Amino acid sequence: MTTHKTASKITVPDNYFSLLGLPLSFNIDKKTLNHNYHELQKTVHPDKFASASDRERMLSVQKAAQINDALETLKNPQRRSAYLLSLFSIELGENDTSVDSAFLMEQMELREELSQVEDSNDPLGKLDDILAHVKSRIKAAVIALDTLFQAILADDITAQEQQKRLAQAKSETLKMQFLNRLQEEAMNKEEDLANQL
Amino acid sequence: MALLQISEPGQSTAPHQHKLAAGIDLGTTNSLVASVRSGMAETIADKQGRDLLPSVVQFLAKDENGYQTIVGYEAQQNAVNDPTNTIVSAKRYMGRGLDDIKEHSVYDFVQDEDSMVPRIRTAAGDVSAVEVSAEILTALKQRASDYLGGDLTGVVITVPAYFDDAQRQATKDAAKLAGLNVLRLINEPTAAAVAYGLDSGNEGIHVIYDLGGGTFDISILKLTRGVFEVLSTAGDSSLGGDDLDQAVVNWIMSEAGITDPSATLQRQLHDKARAAKESLSEQERVQLAIDLGDANNWSSELTLEQFEKLIQPIIRKTIVPCRRALRDAGIDADEIEDVVMVGGSTRVPMVRRMVGEFFETEPLVDIDPDKVVAIGAARQADLLVGNKSDDEMLLLDVTPLSLGLETMGGLVEKVIHRNTTIPVARAQDFTTFKDGQTAMAIHVLQGERELVSDCRSLARFELRGIPPMVAGAARIRVTFQIDADGLLSVSAREETSGVESSIQVKPSYGLSDTEIETMLTDSFSHAKDDIEARKLREEQVEADRVAQAIQAALNEDGDKLLSAEEQQVIRQSIGELIEIAKTDNPRAIKQKIEDVDKVTAEFAQRRMDASINKALAGHSVDDITEGSK
Repeated sequence: MTTHKTASKITVPDNYFSLLGLPLSFNIDKKTLNHNYHELQKTVHPDKFASASDRERMLSVQKAAQINDALETLKNPQRRSAYLLSLFSIELGENDTSVDSAFLMEQMELREELSQVEDSNDPLGKLDDILAHVKSRIKAAVIALDTLFQAILADDITAQEQQKRLAQAKSETLKMQFLNRLQEEAMNKEEDLANQL
Repeated sequence: MALLQISEPGQSTAPHQHKLAAGIDLGTTNSLVASVRSGMAETIADKQGRDLLPSVVQFLAKDENGYQTIVGYEAQQNAVNDPTNTIVSAKRYMGRGLDDIKEHSVYDFVQDEDSMVPRIRTAAGDVSAVEVSAEILTALKQRASDYLGGDLTGVVITVPAYFDDAQRQATKDAAKLAGLNVLRLINEPTAAAVAYGLDSGNEGIHVIYDLGGGTFDISILKLTRGVFEVLSTAGDSSLGGDDLDQAVVNWIMSEAGITDPSATLQRQLHDKARAAKESLSEQERVQLAIDLGDANNWSSELTLEQFEKLIQPIIRKTIVPCRRALRDAGIDADEIEDVVMVGGSTRVPMVRRMVGEFFETEPLVDIDPDKVVAIGAARQADLLVGNKSDDEMLLLDVTPLSLGLETMGGLVEKVIHRNTTIPVARAQDFTTFKDGQTAMAIHVLQGERELVSDCRSLARFELRGIPPMVAGAARIRVTFQIDADGLLSVSAREETSGVESSIQVKPSYGLSDTEIETMLTDSFSHAKDDIEARKLREEQVEADRVAQAIQAALNEDGDKLLSAEEQQVIRQSIGELIEIAKTDNPRAIKQKIEDVDKVTAEFAQRRMDASINKALAGHSVDDITEGSK
């Protein structure tokens, strides 16, 4: 057994990145993504097949749906990261809680704060503070994931190192999942409060 | 060797003439039809020069000629004297069950045990909202055919963006009854954006605020190089000008001490209320006079200030979806280029004022809010029918409501979230919980709430033919697909054995295939049609369409993607189809169309793959990044 096992390389030719003409990377160019998405939909969208044969119309619906799914997956950092992990056969469970306890503590505190927003003198101001905090944490997770995936996808990474970084990336992605959920709850609350005014 | 066909730029290679297509705005209060002629989309007026067709249908008692209906202005006038047989605002009942029709209605609704659809009792028999809508569509179809001088190849019909699956399906059923080929159902605000965006060529983010007679939609769109991308949509499919009228009706009733109005009086009250509302768009006050019968009259004055107090809660209700749409689109109010007002109810000054305050911008009201939806639909119809094959325009719309499944404990698990771009397909895996279980029931719901009881039931599916296995061993993959019309379809497959499970669909609201067949046979609009002749004609048209489509594909890509032998097989198959289409056997034609479909399956796949490769070829990723900086 050699210590320098070859690291996994993603060779699947038809993943969502190649479908949308992007290099395999966590950091993506949004302009290119949108441009390529539009070009592809201009080619395959069912509206372009309104008078085609039934077979072509069916294919067009399937292909357009696949391209829509690819866009949804790649434009959202949490889903993009989960997708990259899935290419390395790492799946994130819906209720996976394998993140560090310090992070979980902080999440519980934020949740506590969120549940008490209505009691504050300025609920909307308080919500703004919570949202700003959550957003900055999401941003930090994006930066961490970018660094991790650069290493994971590098040509010269060892198998051992790759496994380690993948585990870290999984943990960061789970954190982002928590944060996104919290953000959504905070936004729901904001919407309810605004509608009550 | 076949000669190469070279076409003029901008012309299709297929040797066909300009096809007749139309856009139809099937509204709660009024409907319109429009078409593109010499490059211009215009609404088509009736012989008296009126563009609007009031969405009112009067059903007359049967005589020796069978049933008769009156549609439009005449029916509207007769409504006061024959309120129970004259159906207004039928759109409000489309795709709805008896429980949904809570509002005080002058109609006598009945529901058979073996049907999911409520019907209105009229002098001509019991009619569903789908049949009422079919009468309106038939009138518009006739108007368009007369004006354009031939049968329509296809139509685009608009629906409120916030319509759910049942309401969309009901609209398509109405078109089928009216004998229309629906190229696409498109959302009303999206159609308005097409009409508006193409004129101005504005890039950026646009808001369409669409308050019609009975429905409210808000859509936020991004326009980039001919691509109309809907970012989010929200609304209320039972909120509109009718509610403003009702607020005035309630006020009159309370002022005049009316407690139990007759159907005739109700009709009178609604007409007077609407007239008052319309006057108050231009005046400060309006006089109201009601004939209470028995030489008893009531009259009073309604001021603009009083009126606005009555309607303010209703208009405020439209702001809630506006807030949600902004949030779902992920944009701030200051990124919005403009707000476009659509629908007759946006003529009410208070609506404009409150929308302007919310979006912090003066709403655009320079296009006729009644016509803009039909005009957008006409442009899209012209494009889809193939009259402008080189056009760069593309509509990318979203599904307005989340789609979910019932799970343990009466909860809903979302499979497709609201504001997902369509078409969309999502798979969900299920397993069995009993040894040897061979069937499974799945309940599909639409809505945003967590409890099954708070969402709208779309359908119940029963999967059968699952191979018997121990509990938990089967893996049944159910795929939900929403097509470009916003309509749902479901397929299922047992993954370990590869068995395709059969699906039995029971729509929670809607007409069954049998009901539609029966209606086609004895519907009011087709009493004189020979159904067999109609079927034959439909299959012949379809055969012609298929033959033309494949011929065009062969001309374009045959030499590139197929061997000489492969081309020969397809050509022969088309030749046979053309021959069979000349016979009078609709079933044989249908069978041959299916055969041709199988023969050309591989060719279709290759064409699709080739076009995808071509779409992104020619410019590397670096080029694009450079170019967009």
